[in-house]
Amino acid sequence: MLLAVPGGVASSHAQEARAPIQLLLQEHGEIIAKSSRRTIGPAIDALARSGLPQAQLVLEKWRAKEMWRDKETGLFVFAEEIDRRTIRIFDFADGREIAEVADKGFKQLKPNSGIRGLIGAALVQFQLSDPDPANRATALDAIERDAEPSHLTALRGAIESEGDAGLRARKARLERLLTIRFAEDPAERIAAIEGFSGDLGVDVRAALNPLLARALDVSTSRPSGPDIAAVLEPGSAALSRAEAHALLVDKGLAVPRVTPAQKREALIANIADGQVGGVQLAELDSEAARDLAYAALARAGLAPPSAAPGDIDAALAAHVFFERFVGAPPEVARAAADVLAGIETQVAINQFIDLVLDAVSLGSIYFLAAIGLAITFGVMRVINMAHGEFIMMGAYTGFVVQQIVPDYTLSIILAIPLAFAVTFGAGVALERLVIRWLYHRPLETLLATFGVSIALQQIAKNIFGTQARPLTAPGWLDGSLIVNDIVSISYIRIAIFVLALLFLALFLLVMNRTRLGLEVRAVTQNPRMAASMGINPDRINMLTFGFGSGIAGIAGVAIGLYAKVTSEMGADYIVQSFMTVVVGGVGNIWGTLLGASMVGVLQKGIEWFNPSNTLAAQTYMILFVILFIQFRPRGIIALKGRAAEA
Amino acid sequence: MSALLEVSGVSVSFDGFKAINNLTFSIGAAELRAVIGPNGAGKTTFMDIITGKTRPDDGRVIWGEKSVSLLAMSESRIAQEGIGRKFQRPTIFEDQSVAENLMLALKKPRGPFAVLGFRASRADRDRVAELAEEIGLAAALARKAGELSHGQKQWLEIGMLLAQEPRLLLVDEPAAGMTPAEREHTTELLVEAAKTRAVVVVEHDMEFVRRLGCKVTVLHEGSVLAEGSIDHVTSDEKVIEVYLGR
Amino acid sequence: MSDAALPARRPFVARHPSVLIFLALLGIFTIGVTLLSEAFGIGLVSTSFVKTLGKTLCLCLVALAMDLVWGYCGILSLGHMAFFGIGGYAIGMWLMYARTEIIVVESLASAALPPTPQEVSDAIANQIFGVVGASEFPPIWAVADSLLLQLAAVVLVPGLLALVFGWLAFRSRVTGVYLSILTQAMTLALSLYLFQNDSGLRGNNGLSGLQNLPGLDDVPQSIVSLWFFWASALALGLGYVLCTWVVSGKFGSVIRAIRDDESRVRFLGYPVEAYKLAIFTLTAVIAGIAGALYYPQAGIINPAEIAPIASIYLAVWVAIGGRGRLYGAVIGAAFVSLVSTWFTGGGAPDVNLGFATIQWVDWWTVLLGLSFVLVTLFAPKGIGGLFDLITERRTPERHGADLGPDAGSLREKEAET
Repeated sequence: MLLAVPGGVASSHAQEARAPIQLLLQEHGEIIAKSSRRTIGPAIDALARSGLPQAQLVLEKWRAKEMWRDKETGLFVFAEEIDRRTIRIFDFADGREIAEVADKGFKQLKPNSGIRGLIGAALVQFQLSDPDPANRATALDAIERDAEPSHLTALRGAIESEGDAGLRARKARLERLLTIRFAEDPAERIAAIEGFSGDLGVDVRAALNPLLARALDVSTSRPSGPDIAAVLEPGSAALSRAEAHALLVDKGLAVPRVTPAQKREALIANIADGQVGGVQLAELDSEAARDLAYAALARAGLAPPSAAPGDIDAALAAHVFFERFVGAPPEVARAAADVLAGIETQVAINQFIDLVLDAVSLGSIYFLAAIGLAITFGVMRVINMAHGEFIMMGAYTGFVVQQIVPDYTLSIILAIPLAFAVTFGAGVALERLVIRWLYHRPLETLLATFGVSIALQQIAKNIFGTQARPLTAPGWLDGSLIVNDIVSISYIRIAIFVLALLFLALFLLVMNRTRLGLEVRAVTQNPRMAASMGINPDRINMLTFGFGSGIAGIAGVAIGLYAKVTSEMGADYIVQSFMTVVVGGVGNIWGTLLGASMVGVLQKGIEWFNPSNTLAAQTYMILFVILFIQFRPRGIIALKGRAAEA
Repeated sequence: MSALLEVSGVSVSFDGFKAINNLTFSIGAAELRAVIGPNGAGKTTFMDIITGKTRPDDGRVIWGEKSVSLLAMSESRIAQEGIGRKFQRPTIFEDQSVAENLMLALKKPRGPFAVLGFRASRADRDRVAELAEEIGLAAALARKAGELSHGQKQWLEIGMLLAQEPRLLLVDEPAAGMTPAEREHTTELLVEAAKTRAVVVVEHDMEFVRRLGCKVTVLHEGSVLAEGSIDHVTSDEKVIEVYLGR
Repeated sequence: MSDAALPARRPFVARHPSVLIFLALLGIFTIGVTLLSEAFGIGLVSTSFVKTLGKTLCLCLVALAMDLVWGYCGILSLGHMAFFGIGGYAIGMWLMYARTEIIVVESLASAALPPTPQEVSDAIANQIFGVVGASEFPPIWAVADSLLLQLAAVVLVPGLLALVFGWLAFRSRVTGVYLSILTQAMTLALSLYLFQNDSGLRGNNGLSGLQNLPGLDDVPQSIVSLWFFWASALALGLGYVLCTWVVSGKFGSVIRAIRDDESRVRFLGYPVEAYKLAIFTLTAVIAGIAGALYYPQAGIINPAEIAPIASIYLAVWVAIGGRGRLYGAVIGAAFVSLVSTWFTGGGAPDVNLGFATIQWVDWWTVLLGLSFVLVTLFAPKGIGGLFDLITERRTPERHGADLGPDAGSLREKEAET
């Protein structure tokens, strides 16, 4: 049947009122027109499930507020506005233009945001088969964010036709996850659950956890039935006595215990003639007296009765507390619990690996900070408290270079040798001006270098200010190497680790393979003998100290990339650095390496027990090191015998 | 005569190098003994073991009539048992006066609280004066020990040892760097001291040992090579080979 | 102090004329400040300056302890300001508790019901720990309501901590710079611990309002400050006499001997560890007492005061004043802290270099650090060394370098066989 186009405008195309899509719309015409979030569901579902090719168009136009309804015939069209009064209407059945009409004969449908959300969810199934892969991916994102039972069928229908291997895998995984959540058949859900056994994905745990939801319940006899998850004892870790009692009170099975605050209010409300419940006001300065007065009020019906401790005991003893599965049918919940337990083990193992990686990277930082000390303190036995400030100088050198050279890669490449040069110079100057005069007076060296450290810190503060300065890593060091959802390590930490290894190699090379190393070892072992062999101990001491300080400068650049550059950054590392050297065993680079690893592992290990508190971790780490030194005063790798006594 | 100190089967090694190898040694309650040996023979390590500075890997060190083991004791405990040691180079407290040095060494309770309440009695001061007389430093009592000559420092240290009233005196190269007259004096002091206690002298100088006129123990590579009178050991083939015959 | 033996014994003060001189100067100073103060005198010295002087006296006392442990016994402890801080915390806990209690009881007095003890305690806890988001008393506040017990804690906590730490460190023969680093680590651990909010001591907020004595709100600060000033002067005087007594007799002789040659003292039969432990603990207690007098004058204590740098400054004062002589420590602490107050308080005029202006507020620390290096290098005897020029006290000729407190232990190594 052809209907005349209303409005009297000559029609180029007549609307097909018998088209299946229009019939469907008419069937739900009233609720669509009513446009209420609460009642709209069946209409959207009907459209989405209709299988009609035009359904997607209807939903899209509806959501875009471009669907109109003829006030006279009740037929739905979509339209575009031409001007304020005129619209051009189109037929949903074939998408063709019907006519240009005045808008007063049509009512625009304006779904609110809640309805638009529902429409969007329904549209997903169409998007899942969209020709554009980007749209398909967006649809998958939307489902992952906010899944609905209806998506399951949509997904299942969209897997076969998927051409993109990556999207296909995603769809398949998502289908399994949705099966767990929404499938009707428990066996199907259990199969899906077991399929994820050992999977570390956060999404799997997010899907499984709600299935394990339990509700606390109480009865007078021991309950039975498959849905009973556990029977709980009041006063245990899982159920405190207060919680158990509160449940009884909620269920009307016990009298509540009045809190001190409620008791107080009740008493105040009933003050009369300077007394409450027969007790003088002045005597109500203890809980016992207040209990007495309150009991009197309760007897008089002026306040609700309060449970005495004995009543609570009796009530708790008379009931059995248990939890039942409410998140899923019991067999599904149990399967989920089993699989989740397996996953948790996997997670724990992976977290441990992650922790070890963290510890290794922290250890590398300590090693970097300590390796210069391993030279000045370990080899030369000169204690340099300004070592931390050399690290700081290196970091500020990097900062200054970045101010001049804006390219981050280039500036870091420039900063490393520059930092070495600057701190090498500072080290040589310190050795020449101060330390040279104090050889064999270690405590005085310690003091004098303290003075230098205080001065350098303040100078840095005066020049660069107290706020932290950034040292930005080049772009290629951004991001992390991600192994799985738990194990990942940032590239900058890998770089620091590699740098630490390079330094170790450099140290070994210089000390064992070069003339300088040979002379250094000669001078430290017996300066007089070395001097008589034609080695200039002054020059060697100067160069060695400079070398150690220079390495501190490079370490400063590395640490600056990882942490912020402040005038106090050196002070933050100095104690740990000395600990590292002492714990490892003075005078042995491998000992320093072991010491750094141990300090790193310890700190991360303690942090793992108490993740929120890195200060406490540092405290306990230091205490542990103090105790460790009790048992190995000369460190992990101890020099034995006469050499150790020098 | 029962032994005052008995060292048996003691060994100690540093990083694989055996400094003392299955050493056995004993000395009576009033005996003067010289220990000689080439460099590296383990003389100093031997004294370190007796005084508790070095713990041996193996063996026993038994002390006194009650036969107590010295191995579990701290250095200070061993010193309180009555073993005094004189180092090779004079080690006295240079910042303190001769009188203070001697007073420190005087045999008195050693605990901190006893010392805090300590007030020198007449007898203590007399004893210090007497010791100073004996070591020829009576005139220098109020002087700082650091101002003394090298020989005087050696004597002050010997005086401190005597003040400790040890039952066993370990003396490391006492005559090093002394003038002939000072050596003479030192010999007398040691011989005199050995009348009432055991004295072990570690010495390089054969002439000095000969003058002590006592039994000699020759150490070589950490164990005893020969033992006997000076004439006996100097005629021993092995001794001549490793030590004297160079 | 060189006449330990032969001359017949004379009274303590006669043997140590420096004690008399010191006590006389301290007495004159105390009376002088009192007469110039706002409360009891002509008002020439402001109350805040009286507090500064009182605090300086406490710093002199802790410097005295530092000199005893470092200058005489050769232990460069970088932990004594931690003991000082613990003393401050111990007394601060009572001051804060008692004062808050008074305020709380006053405010609860107008409530409809008379408060129960639990309500009072909860209200106090809320007041004190609100800043760190807690409302219950941590266990370490168990005796905060008792002045007597908290006063005991001033002595016992630093003493016990020093005893345990010293016992661990000395028995494993940790000496020299290693010991310094270890004490520094201990100090760092303590300050990091206190920086936590759940340390039970209000994290980095510390304790505040300590200048107000509970129940004495009517007494003006000008008088309270003088009370503390007198108490500080008394403590310093007693501390000086005690330290002189300790270092004078044979005990002093032993600890100086330990400083110069530890192993030799051991071979004399002295239990060196016990002596070090005794000195370490005694000085920790003195430091705790000094801190307990200092912080009520400062008014506030927080963990930053315990950070290792504070102990390093303490060593700086003693070194500048002159180690190994008690008056040196006092002079050093007084001189450096007062000069420091002058410079950082903006008292010193800026220096115009033409291209830049040196503002001492910023540059004073640099000057201090560098002058400390110079003192270590060129004047190891510090300011106290000037007295040697006056008295022309002879110093022994030593072989090798001029001895620092630690040099002795290095000097005597068994010769290479």
